Amino acid sequence: MERQIPIPELSIDAEAVTAYLTRRLREYVVDYAGRRGGVIGLSGGIDSATTTYLAVRSLGRENVYVYALPTSATPAGDLKDVERIVAELDIPPPNFGVIDIEAAVDGLARMVGSEDRVVRGNIAARTRMIILHAKAAMHNCLVIGTSDKSELTIGYFTKYGDAGVDLMPIADLYKTQVRYLAKHLWVPGDIVRKPPSPGLWPGQTAEEELGIPYELLDSILYLRFDAWLNEEEVASRLGIDLSLVRRVVSMVKATQHKRQLPEIFRLSQRSHGSDWRYPREWR
Amino acid sequence: MALAQISTRIGDVEGNKEKHLSFIRLARERGARLVVFPELSLTGYLLRDVAYEVPRACSEAADELARECKDIYAVVGLVHEPRPGIISNAAAILGGGEVRCIVPKFYLPTYGLFEEGRYFKPGDPLRDLRIVETDFGPVGVLICEDMWHPEPAEALVRSGAEIIICIASSPLRGLNRPVDNKPWIDYAWSALIASVALMYNVHVVFVNRAGHEDEEFFWGGSRVVAPDGVQICGCGTMEEDFRVCEIDLTETARSRRFSSFRIHSREFHRVLQDL
Repeated sequence: MERQIPIPELSIDAEAVTAYLTRRLREYVVDYAGRRGGVIGLSGGIDSATTTYLAVRSLGRENVYVYALPTSATPAGDLKDVERIVAELDIPPPNFGVIDIEAAVDGLARMVGSEDRVVRGNIAARTRMIILHAKAAMHNCLVIGTSDKSELTIGYFTKYGDAGVDLMPIADLYKTQVRYLAKHLWVPGDIVRKPPSPGLWPGQTAEEELGIPYELLDSILYLRFDAWLNEEEVASRLGIDLSLVRRVVSMVKATQHKRQLPEIFRLSQRSHGSDWRYPREWR
Repeated sequence: MALAQISTRIGDVEGNKEKHLSFIRLARERGARLVVFPELSLTGYLLRDVAYEVPRACSEAADELARECKDIYAVVGLVHEPRPGIISNAAAILGGGEVRCIVPKFYLPTYGLFEEGRYFKPGDPLRDLRIVETDFGPVGVLICEDMWHPEPAEALVRSGAEIIICIASSPLRGLNRPVDNKPWIDYAWSALIASVALMYNVHVVFVNRAGHEDEEFFWGGSRVVAPDGVQICGCGTMEEDFRVCEIDLTETARSRRFSSFRIHSREFHRVLQDL
């Protein structure tokens, strides 16, 4: 049996995807929401870089606002990458800012009385969310999220933090597919190859924390949830241990609540949630 | 024949009706005798609970559009409420200044992104299958998913329809990994439309939506395919479009001289009936 990882099913027609996403982004932001452009939190990682490249193509550089929001946990190299992306895309100076959130995160962590790095990391992610929404309001923009389908599917994000955005243009692409797209968009190669990290504490890398490389994770997710194979079939197709497939599936199940609106306990005939079924574009 | 591949706004029946009026007038100016709009063209497709709130506006809009259709036929998509609280995803055929008939969809997709079975009552073939006589020939109308099953088109054609009109709101899927340089859904529909034209030796007129609703995007690709399976007119994809073309209905008879359409083995249908 062929055991190619990433599986060939993850390949994409990057040109068609780019044309479609740039168009939808413009339609959603401008035609539907009636806003001028988008605000993006740029970390210097592949997802936010790719999203920024797409947004500039779609909305025009003068309508894209880019903010780096570092803490002391942010590697210096990431800020350099941010500056490189901003220069590469020729983003106008008034549309770019570096806002150090260390003091805010420190203050909030002290207020809640926690030194736990996960608590502090989530405070950082939510602080970024607050700043991006404030900037969006100031510039008549939407907050454009940078989550990919891998992170979204296993719940590797902060609820109301990096996921607290208005739209997620690349969230139907697994990380492996974002890499294909990034190459097509001419995102610098070292940024595409850099180990992904949420940057919530020093030295954090996604693949180390998750214990699995993205190419394999994406192959498991695709086969289990897009192709509907069962866990045993996924393990056999990929030539991996069943326990690894089960671990990934358990991450997906445990984080289902993060992909949904908050639970509401039904009292009336018609509660928000299961039977409040209006389309987003309802007018 | 005019193909009005339009985008519509969800729930905005009044605004959508105005758009229909302008395209009916345009079609008439361009010499068309029939103008076809997409599925649920008066309401938008992903209606969910809005479906309950639009039938009256749809009925009024259809009446108003019919008055505009004295010297042209039009097929429009709407939500129809034949009895209180019972709604269907339907096509209204307008002509001679009136609503000639309303035909419901038979196969309601209820899987993946589709939720039609939750809201709509499916058509009953024994009661709802209709051939509409027009001054250019007998026409049968199907709605989107009806074309993904062999029986509706076959029943219409064997009952005398010489043109199959299929109105659709087909959302884009499979853009990621194209087949033959087109999104999978375009590839699939191309195969279906050509198959129906070839199997029954009829012209097939397919009119799909353009525009977007929530996550979904309607890819267009409306077209007319002749009885030999060859496309004779096609709208663009991913955009609104409007095309007018001429159909030669004498091709129906010619194409049947070299096909086995005349053989209708009823026993197959008896087998199907007992399954």
